[in-house]
Amino acid sequence: MKNYLKNIGFVALVVIAFSACKKDEDAIDTTYPEIDLTIANASPVQCATLVRGEKFTFRAKFTDNVALGSYSLDVHHNFDQHNHTTEVNACAQDAKKTAVKPFLYIKDFSIPTDSKEYVATAEIDIPSDVDAGDYHFLIRLTDKEGWQTIKGVSIKIK
Amino acid sequence: MPRNKKTAIFYLSFFSRMTASAMLRYLLLFVFSCFVLQVKAQNFNISGLITDEFDVPKNNVNVQIKRLNRVVQSDESGLFSFQNLASGKYKISISSVGFKTKNIELELKQDTNLGTIKLVQSANSLQQVTISEKLGESRKKQESLNVETVNADFIKRNLGGSLMKSLERMPGIKTIGIGSGQSKPLIRGLGFNRVVVVENGVKHEGQQWGADHGLEIDQFATDRIELIKGAASFVYGSDAIAGAIDIKPKAQPENNSLGGSVDLVGKSNNNLYGTSVNLFGRADKWFFDGRATLMNYSDYRVPTDLVQVYNYPVALKDNYVRNSAGRENNLHFNAGYVTEKIKSIFYVSNTNSKSGFFANAHGLEPRQVDLSLHDASNRDILMPYQQVNHLKLINKTGITLDNHQVDIELGYQHNFREEYSMYVNHGFMPAIYPSSMSIPQNLEREFDKKVVSANVKDRVAFGKHQLSFGLNIENQQNGISGWSFLVPAFKQFTSGAFLYDKLEVNENLIVHGALRYDYGQINISQYTDWFASDMNTPNGTVSQNLIRANALTRNFNSFIWSAGVNYNLNKFVFKGNLGKSFRMPIAKELAANGVNYHYFSYEKGDPNLSPEKSYQLDVSLGYNEEKWSVQLSPFFNYFPNYIYLNPTAQLDYFYGAGNQVFQYAQSEVMRYGAELQFKYRFTDNLSSEVLAEYLYAEQLSGDKKGYTLPFSPPPSALLNLTYEPKFNNKLTGTYFAVDYRITGRQDNIVPPEKKTAGYSIFNLAIGTKLKTGKQQFDISLQAQNLFNTKYLNHTSFYRLIELPEVGRNLILSLKIPFSFVKND
Repeated sequence: MKNYLKNIGFVALVVIAFSACKKDEDAIDTTYPEIDLTIANASPVQCATLVRGEKFTFRAKFTDNVALGSYSLDVHHNFDQHNHTTEVNACAQDAKKTAVKPFLYIKDFSIPTDSKEYVATAEIDIPSDVDAGDYHFLIRLTDKEGWQTIKGVSIKIK
Repeated sequence: MPRNKKTAIFYLSFFSRMTASAMLRYLLLFVFSCFVLQVKAQNFNISGLITDEFDVPKNNVNVQIKRLNRVVQSDESGLFSFQNLASGKYKISISSVGFKTKNIELELKQDTNLGTIKLVQSANSLQQVTISEKLGESRKKQESLNVETVNADFIKRNLGGSLMKSLERMPGIKTIGIGSGQSKPLIRGLGFNRVVVVENGVKHEGQQWGADHGLEIDQFATDRIELIKGAASFVYGSDAIAGAIDIKPKAQPENNSLGGSVDLVGKSNNNLYGTSVNLFGRADKWFFDGRATLMNYSDYRVPTDLVQVYNYPVALKDNYVRNSAGRENNLHFNAGYVTEKIKSIFYVSNTNSKSGFFANAHGLEPRQVDLSLHDASNRDILMPYQQVNHLKLINKTGITLDNHQVDIELGYQHNFREEYSMYVNHGFMPAIYPSSMSIPQNLEREFDKKVVSANVKDRVAFGKHQLSFGLNIENQQNGISGWSFLVPAFKQFTSGAFLYDKLEVNENLIVHGALRYDYGQINISQYTDWFASDMNTPNGTVSQNLIRANALTRNFNSFIWSAGVNYNLNKFVFKGNLGKSFRMPIAKELAANGVNYHYFSYEKGDPNLSPEKSYQLDVSLGYNEEKWSVQLSPFFNYFPNYIYLNPTAQLDYFYGAGNQVFQYAQSEVMRYGAELQFKYRFTDNLSSEVLAEYLYAEQLSGDKKGYTLPFSPPPSALLNLTYEPKFNNKLTGTYFAVDYRITGRQDNIVPPEKKTAGYSIFNLAIGTKLKTGKQQFDISLQAQNLFNTKYLNHTSFYRLIELPEVGRNLILSLKIPFSFVKND
């Protein structure tokens, strides 16, 4: 009886040891989508200046290994210099100041389904009565599986 | 084949082949068979007298019948007795602090008086540890669930920043934490509302759902803790779907004692200093036990000066994690009345803490902070920070009547949590905080939870049965405040009734069966924004305050079961348990609708979620030799509808301020894994231990089919070597221990996680009990992360922002026990 039980224990051990080693090779997507602001006519680039009362066109290339999801754009003031940027080079900043009527823009956009590559363009109206100064331009991009990449660019509105 | 073993296999094959409904029927049959058996059984008593070496009767000595898990204490005159025992072979173990444990074997055929049993003093006071270790061993053999017991000594040796951090050494237990002082348990990769924490018999209710919220428990006030790995809903209710951490009440002081202890703690990494002072006393039937704990710590240090907060580089000054300092002050007072038949104890405690969040990683996006302000001091707590107060009142009463043991627990808890952060407008929130608001401008969130709970349980022992049945009721009121919104206010009522039978088939075999019915109701209040948003309607743009959460009432009920077996043969230990568990969806899962400022995500509940169900098989195989022991505990777990926060491809500008939408959903989930414990004693002084764990989880349906679950711990192993030299009576309980922990890489991830590289770290622990004159000092020293290794912990809250774990940390603790009254 004792040996019998020992054997059961041993078999269980072996089974578990093997199941633990089993590699699951069902390829799941673990790659983040990418935002490329180096293509021709990409905008805004780091330290770019936008003009009040004018239309501005956002343009960037998005890529993913499987399929892109959607993206959103977010422009908000950086008068208190709270913002970071994901870019390496810093831009010259104006002095800190208090917001009176800062420009705020948040909008989400869809991307055609099953796109691996997409050049996004969006037109943004900058009203003429908003505060001039340092702003932050944030791009959020997802892929179909829910991986998200964020890119933050420092801009000026004059 | 002997009849007993046949019975065992009969029961086992029974449970493995049955459908749920058939199982139910047989369980009922099984439970009723107890009553039939009772009529046939003839019952006897065992009694005796316990004295010390000088023939003086000794009270408060634990007398235990291991296989029944029945413990009685000797009374004032040293007498003890067990009543209503079936005939058969018994092993009785008699133990008391400072005395050698005595074991007596007998065959019970008639009422038996064992006469006078003399206890001999033991050489060192380490006995206490041995006793609780033995108690732990006997619990293991008695429970079909996977139970591990740790005591105050274990916590002292492995003292971490919080209770859960200290327990993390146990295989299968991990923590999910934020900063150096807050963490929550993860049992086999599941945590939050899937793990129940019980203190003094009452379920601890804080804000379990939040990864950034710690557990409001003072680790200095704990004594014996049971860790239940696996589905334990049938004992602990709805939330114990992954397991439970059961913090047992402290043993009451010995009679005619008045004493206490002072604990002093210092930590090098976050410059922590702390103290905990305990005072207790007992005169005959009355006793009290009080404690005050104070902790103060600065920002902690990590082995890096640059972290990537979602691609945003953040420099750390002198390796300090900006604004992670904190303070904690806790008060406890217990008082009670103890006789042989009645034990009634009141527990009053208040834990209060304030701690900062890493200043660069909180808000709508990674932030640059005012460095001159933040880096001026490492000990100040600036915004963002959290402040939590947890008040707890418990009465625990036990009544022993013949063969009944009735336990009643009544509790009231008030958890009050505030999170402060500078106002940051998003969506259509006004850029400047309106002065007309009654909510303070910096109060980002507030949670106000009041809980009343009641448990009643009766344990009846008759013949070979130990039948328990009981009722749990809990009522919650949850209020919210703050300028931001995530979870609405709600009321919640839960109740459950259970029946559990433990049948001692023979000396080697125990069979368990349990049934439980739960009913719960949740009432979610409507929440309307305090600011107006522009809505696009067919009639043009309309500006109005949006309703973020609709009023909602949901009722839930569930019928669950559990069946298990223990087979203990000499050195071999086998146990198995199969059970169904369930969990009610929580308010956050049903009605969240806001931005999570830690994850930069927009979290959205689903009001139609169904209660989570889980089926789990637990097995444990052990073998104990004199010099070595091994225990392997595999498990398999299946959820048909696991509630999961799914990161979608959508972004939302309206409610979510442009953030990624994380939507609660349900999917089929399969999990399996195992823990291994191996101990080897080379000599009397030198021993070694190997603790290993492995876990695999996979979603079998839904949007993330093929992916794992978030926070799945990678495989890991801990190798330990302990040297315990014996010196003399002045220097006892000395130990030198090295823990080498190897953790594998985790490539099995799900959005928004990142693959985490493997690592290995060394921890050192040294301690002794020093006696000078009559005064004893317990000294322990630890060096955690000895080589200041830079590594990322896959289950850490700050993993996503690439913040490494705490660097080298030296922990010195000193305990000075004192006594005003000499005990005989």
